[in-house]
Amino acid sequence: MSTCPVMTTNTSKTKHIKGAIMLERQGRQLRRGRHPYRPLVLGTALAMASGLLLAGCGDDDSGTGSDGKETITFWDNNGGPDRTPLWQGLIADFQSANPKITVKYVGIPAASVQQKYDTAVAAGGTPDVAGATTSYLGGLVAQQALEPLDDRAKTAGLESKIVPSFVDSVRKVATDAKLYEIPTSANLDVLWYRKDLFDQAKLKAPATWNDFFTDVSKLTDAQKNQYGFTIRGGAGSIFQLLTEMYSYSGVNSFFDTSGKSTINDPKNVELIQKIAALYKKDTPAADVNNDFTKMVAQFGGGSIAIMHHNLGSSANNVKALGADKVAAVPLPVAVSGTRTIVPNPVDGLVMFKASKHKDAAWKFIEFISQKSSNSTWNKTVGQIPANTEVTSESWVQDQQPVRDALAAINESGTVSVQAPYYLPEFSAITKTDMGPLFQKVLLGTMTAQEFADTFATKMTEAQAKYTKRVGG
Amino acid sequence: MISTVRRRPRRWRFEARNRPEVLFPLALYLLFTLIPFYWMLVFAFRPTGSNAILPTDLTLDHFRTVWTGLGFGIFFRNSLLVGVATLLVVSVFALSGGYALARYNFGGRKVFLLALLCTQFIPGAMMLIPLFEIFRQLHLVNNLWALVIAETTFQLPLSLILMSGFIRNIPIDLEEAAWVDGCSRFRGFLAIVLPLLRPALVAVGSFAFIGSWNNFLFALMFMSNQSKFTIPVGLSYTLGEFDVDFGALAAGGVVAAVPVVLVFAVVQRYLVTGLSAGAVKG
Repeated sequence: MSTCPVMTTNTSKTKHIKGAIMLERQGRQLRRGRHPYRPLVLGTALAMASGLLLAGCGDDDSGTGSDGKETITFWDNNGGPDRTPLWQGLIADFQSANPKITVKYVGIPAASVQQKYDTAVAAGGTPDVAGATTSYLGGLVAQQALEPLDDRAKTAGLESKIVPSFVDSVRKVATDAKLYEIPTSANLDVLWYRKDLFDQAKLKAPATWNDFFTDVSKLTDAQKNQYGFTIRGGAGSIFQLLTEMYSYSGVNSFFDTSGKSTINDPKNVELIQKIAALYKKDTPAADVNNDFTKMVAQFGGGSIAIMHHNLGSSANNVKALGADKVAAVPLPVAVSGTRTIVPNPVDGLVMFKASKHKDAAWKFIEFISQKSSNSTWNKTVGQIPANTEVTSESWVQDQQPVRDALAAINESGTVSVQAPYYLPEFSAITKTDMGPLFQKVLLGTMTAQEFADTFATKMTEAQAKYTKRVGG
Repeated sequence: MISTVRRRPRRWRFEARNRPEVLFPLALYLLFTLIPFYWMLVFAFRPTGSNAILPTDLTLDHFRTVWTGLGFGIFFRNSLLVGVATLLVVSVFALSGGYALARYNFGGRKVFLLALLCTQFIPGAMMLIPLFEIFRQLHLVNNLWALVIAETTFQLPLSLILMSGFIRNIPIDLEEAAWVDGCSRFRGFLAIVLPLLRPALVAVGSFAFIGSWNNFLFALMFMSNQSKFTIPVGLSYTLGEFDVDFGALAAGGVVAAVPVVLVFAVVQRYLVTGLSAGAVKG
């Protein structure tokens, strides 16, 4: 093989000389045994190699094998370094007990779980079983993606073994009041506090809201970069604020009998004003953008005396500060003396309607909900177990935050104010609409009354639409 | 000509050394850029619970957590496969399409270019469900090829525009010389144009690889199998619903950043040439 001979023309002599030089270079490469198509050949080889490797990464969906073995897919709604190994252990136990069923575990990152579920439902790629919380359960029910589990739970005698208020929370999310989720655990908002700082200041954990505001003020020493409290002003601020408002006011429902929101009740407004007054005086200035990660990091860093978060940050707090320096108490009782709680979303397992292995899927749900699995799960993650047989176990009594949270839920006078997760607009109102307005309140460009009125109007409108839709 | 190009940076460096008004903002900017990297390295190597600003007490525990506990080994392999395949596919299509746009005057060429530009305004999230449906029909859900195809779809328009701009800068006379000497159009392209396109290929390929390496949304949505996820999905595992493992997050960040930093270190010389040549006269 030889190179093309080069001829120059009168019109573009210089350029043709360059072309000739390049062709000459190609010729030299050929003489050295380097083909001019070498990059193309290499590229094609590389593409084919990648193609073969990628082709080897094909689909292996759930199904039934020729030996009668079934494979079900389970999506974990909070996959991560702590929970994934825990699930894998429970799955191994389940597979030992049910050798004909294989569970394929898929961990979904918590921050994107709702989007992943919605896409899977819309495009048709749902798993057999998935973890879900009541905060987005309503959306899945509305899309008719889930299988009601009432009959199966009744036959298995499972419903009677679950904390009644958790079952109630799940039923309230669905317009038909059916049981679309088997609760496995629940969470509660608590005040995490630094025991060592409280001891130094000779203070007791706040039992009333007056105690709370006094303690926050006494524990602030801005010179030493120590603040009595940290406000969640960024992502997720509104749900936390709601739990504080209703805990303070003692108002026992989100809506009155006429369907009007109680958010702008005078006592609720008073609490917003008091919290906003703490900003920059007894809290860091950066709190206006605090999401839970920053808040937990600040608390773990040692500059905060009291932090309002839920039991979920237990492991982080203990790891960062040590078990002897940190404790938690439920939010203080209302001004009226009543303990009023806004329960966190209830976590549990759902079965998708499109599953082709419903019996196997149910066996898995039942196994995870039973005493030993539920105990293992909640003991490790530090949450409130849903199985009533577990609540009396010794580890619950040993874990102070869980023990006190459970006691607060079970107190005879406790009023539970259910957040209206059943409203399709609830998530958008609390996250998108009201979050930035709360930041305005903290920065002093909006009054607490204006904020509460706007919030209440939106909630009242959403409730009215809902009532109309369900024919109320 | 060549010696002039080489001398220019040297003279600039000499002048800049004596000009604090140039050096100070650059140093400040560099500081802002490097602090997050430093933060990431410190968190990745220091033990949990430590507040040390200097990495005095080092540990590899976080790397063990992400590599074996979270399965970053598999995620890394998947990201690499998808990245390399996307790079190759985008490069081939950008070369052929870019050549056609630069060298042929066909009907609707301008409209086509405009359409390419318009596609840049479509967010990936909007295409999720249609793409998912297509991949489901093609049995490509849970197949890494779905990611390559989706990535190529979104990377190609910009790559085509860049590549056509670069090819347009290569005088047609060079190719004509080859044709006159008996080369076919394809042979002329391979022998004359392709070697001159090295900076453009590096620019386009780097963008395709890095875009694919960093994409989270498609990997999470089109894959529903633990062994098919890529590095960005693995990273998001460290951000739990109630807690964040900062050590693992930082260690995962180091693992994710190393290939991208290496790619940039190797190709940055070509990248600047390729981008400026392709973009300015496009």
